[in-house]
Formats: sequence, structure tokens, C-alpha cells
Amino acid sequence: VGALLVALVPRLACAALGEPESSIAGDLQHLKGSIKSTVRSNYRVHEIQLPSGTVLREFAAVGGNVFAIAWSGPAIPDLRQALGRYFDVYVTAAQAKQGTRRHLLIEQSEFVMQSSGHMRAFSGRAYLPQALPPGTSVDELR
Amino acid sequence: MRNVAPMVAAGLIGLSSLAFVSCGGGGGGASVVPTPVPTNPSNVVSVIVDAGPNGPNNSSVNTLYTTVTVCVPGSTTSCQTIDHIQVDTGSYGLRLLASVLTLSLQGTMASNGNSLVECTQFVDGYSWGPIALADIQVGEETAASVPVQVIGSSTFATVPANCSATGTAEDTVAAFGANGILGIGVFEQDCGSGCAPSTTVDNSANGFYYSCTAASVCVGTTVALNSQVLNPIPLFTTDNDGSILVLPSVTAPGTTTLTGSLIFGIDTQSNNASGSETILAVDGLGDFTTVFNSQTLTQSFLDSGTNGTFFDDAALTLCADPNFKGFYCPAGSQPFTATLMGTNNTSITEPFTVDNAQTLATNNPTFTVLPTLAGTFSTASSSNTSNTFDWGLPFYYGRRVFTAIENQRTAVDTGPYVAF
Repeated sequence: VGALLVALVPRLACAALGEPESSIAGDLQHLKGSIKSTVRSNYRVHEIQLPSGTVLREFAAVGGNVFAIAWSGPAIPDLRQALGRYFDVYVTAAQAKQGTRRHLLIEQSEFVMQSSGHMRAFSGRAYLPQALPPGTSVDELR
Repeated sequence: MRNVAPMVAAGLIGLSSLAFVSCGGGGGGASVVPTPVPTNPSNVVSVIVDAGPNGPNNSSVNTLYTTVTVCVPGSTTSCQTIDHIQVDTGSYGLRLLASVLTLSLQGTMASNGNSLVECTQFVDGYSWGPIALADIQVGEETAASVPVQVIGSSTFATVPANCSATGTAEDTVAAFGANGILGIGVFEQDCGSGCAPSTTVDNSANGFYYSCTAASVCVGTTVALNSQVLNPIPLFTTDNDGSILVLPSVTAPGTTTLTGSLIFGIDTQSNNASGSETILAVDGLGDFTTVFNSQTLTQSFLDSGTNGTFFDDAALTLCADPNFKGFYCPAGSQPFTATLMGTNNTSITEPFTVDNAQTLATNNPTFTVLPTLAGTFSTASSSNTSNTFDWGLPFYYGRRVFTAIENQRTAVDTGPYVAF
């Protein structure tokens, strides 16, 4: 168990949002998921099936960085891993509580996060508005 | 069968304090009834919308509470009655804040013999704490030796990284807005088969359940269905197929407090018979479909634990004041209709109204009941972004809402379904 905890620490550096597309491999390993990748017009979607039953999608510009993540399913994914350097932004904003435990809305110029749902049915997403590939609609990110 | 008389007496103390809170809040100018008389049928417990346990300066809004008695399993004397337990049809099982629990409850063990501890996920954070067994009494209904969660226990103060990775800790009454939560939604367990042992997949990294040593070294674990935190209703000796929430209607802008009833059982007694209600069957996540503004929102749900009506409408003005961020602030009352569709292809059209959240709160500072309070999941700049319509507590005002639990057969259908 001690070795496991130690092993987790360096992998936290392999975060996804805002990181190169290659970092998704780190997510996959850390989250113990299986992956399916599809190409859309100007980005790739990497769909990670998590052991919890939740699906985590990571949106990466071709040859570029992950600009959005989205999830849906019975559990919220490991957001420290998936949000990477934006995890602290999320936690700080969540502590300044708005609304209810069923919804979260964080809207900053460079980071947007929406999360909703109830026990056994969660969905949400986070994206970097300034990093969206040209022609990409926010509605596609789900 | 144990003697329940002392627990009934304890329950009456709880009801008495609820009534006092109601009158103290000045609810609707109703006459004061100093001594509660136990005239209710045995399957009814009083519920109230009020300012909550954090007082008028940190008041809850549209938050429904009841009183629950917990006992050491088998004991009729080692019991504690706790008020301001939130009534939540959007979760499953009883959770108590360790800071209000004076009773010493025996913790349960994971399959490896270490302590079973849970990371309960909410959208904006998590609640960490051990699972313990308690006899639960709500009104006069009892369930024996039920797994419950004790949130914020000092016994397992170290939160595993994988749990804290889901957000910020919610383990105090201040953060929770309640002394605990009574989850009475459509499912039996708080996690279900995704956390249970399986011969085909490894469910140990389910994110909910951990086995922890005394030194708080924790690893993910599977938990048999009947050892997970359980919705107590199916474990009641009678009236165990579901529940009905009955709340009076409220005209906008609202009122200071509201009292109603939580009736246990569906079609088990004369006071809980199914009638002409519309039945909406729900899917494996507990959701149905809402059609609103030409959007088909397949992850929609009824939830007494949400304090407003939440949906996305890019044309509706959001509040500019940061204190009301995420709520709608239209210039005047806005009427809408939406259609709710069950997985059984039954549908019903629902009218609702949205008022300016800031005006509601500012003009009515003592109101805790605001039926036209509504908010958004996303932003005004992006339409059609969520797949969800969350019908919160305002939906429940002025009607009887049935919640039929999975695998339970009522006179008219089999759960999971909601009906109204």
C-alpha cells in the first residue's frame, strides 16, 4: 500500500486538461480505464471507460493539447488527474459555494466547468474557452 | 420485536422542537399549537421547510427537513433523536454528521477485515466517513441494523488522495446545511452493482468504498449490495415499497416556512393509495426525459434535495450579482411549460414560473420557501449545453409526489418510478 501511494505521486504530473494529447496515456494508466479514440473534423475524442462505469471523454486538438473533458455516469472521475493544473481552481471555486450540491458552475476567462446530477447519475465537463479549435461549438463537448 | 415506546417518546420530543421552529419562524401567521397530539397514522412523519440548522443569518432555502431517531442496534435506550435531517429523493441512505452524533455506533468491516469507509460524491465535493450500523426510526417506522454513513468522523481523519481528488470536503453542518441526509430515492443502495463484487470485472476502484486500517491507510474495495449504505424504506417492516411527499401549495413570492408530510408506503394503507397520478418510469440512473425549448433532456430527474428549478435557457437573463451567480434574474415573472416523459412512454405537461432570484431574496429576507426560484447549469453565452432538467423542491409544492423504489411492486406498477 505504501508503494502504491508513492507510485501515485509522479503520475499526478501526467494531467490532462491543458496538457499535450500524449498525456492521456497517463490518465489511462492512472485511472485504470480502457480507451476508444475517434477523429472529428478538427480534434480527436478519447473516450475512457472507467472501472466505476463512468465514461470520461478528453478532447484534444490534433497534435495539440487537451482543451476539454466531459464525463457521464454513476461516479465523478478523478478530477485531480483529469483537470490537472486546473484542479485547484475548481476546488477554490467550489469552496465559494453557489447554488446546491447538485450543480456547480465555474466561469472564468480561461476555465469553465459545469457539473450536475445526483447520486448514481453524474455528468459534467470542463474546458478552456481560449483553447477551443476554430469552428468548435461548446455544444459538441459532451 | 423490541419495545419501541421510549423511541416513540423521543420522536415526540423531536416533533415538538420542529413545531417550535415553525412557530418561531413566524410561518404564515398560523395559530400556535403548543402540544403536539399524536393523531397521525403510523406511516406519516412531519416534514418542514425552514432556515435549517445554521440559523437565520446562514439560512437554507427550499430545503426540506425531518427528524430521525437512531439507536444502537437492538437497544431501546441508546438512542438519539436528530432534527434537521434533509429529506432527499436524489440520494439513497442515511448519513449523519459526526459532529451532531453523540451515540457510539459500531463501524462495519470490509471483506478484508479492515474498516469500511465511504467517499460520498456530490457535484461540488465529497463527504468522507465510516459506515456504521444503526436502528433507524422515522415517525413510527423502524428498520433494524441499517448501514449508515457517519460523515466527518475523527476516527478516519485522513482522506485518501483518490477521494479528495473529487473536490472539496463537505463534512460539517455548516457545509452541509443539515445535520444529516435521509436518502429515499428510487434505488435500494447508494452505489449498487458498480461497487459490488463481480466475477467478470474488478469493481474495487469504484471511487465510493474503501477499506481502511486503524492508521487510515485506505484502498478501494468492493462491498456486497446489502452492506452498502441502504435506503431504509425497503427495510421497514411495513409500508416499505416507497413513499409520498405531500407539501401544501405556495403562491409566489413564497412564505417563511412550510410544513407537510412524508407518508411511507404506496398502496399499503388508506392514506397512501395510488389514484389517477401520472406514472413516469425512470431509467437505470434514476432519470427520465424532459422536453423543454425543443431540447430533449434525457438526464432529467425529480429531486427534493435541489433547492430550485434548474435548467438551461440562453434567452433567460442570469443574475449579475455574484451572490446570485447561477440563478435566473428576469425582469418580470416568466411562464414556461415543459413535458416530462417516462421510460414507459407516459408524458405530462408541466407549467412553471421563474421569478427574479435577487428580487425574491432581497424583498423577502425571512422567506425560506421560494417556489419560483430557478437557476442554470451553464452560461448565457452557450445554449443547449446540459442534458439535464433538475426539478427541485419547488416541483413538490402543492401536490403528492410518489417515489416507488426499485424491485417494489405497488398496486399499479413496479418501481423504480415517480408519480404525481
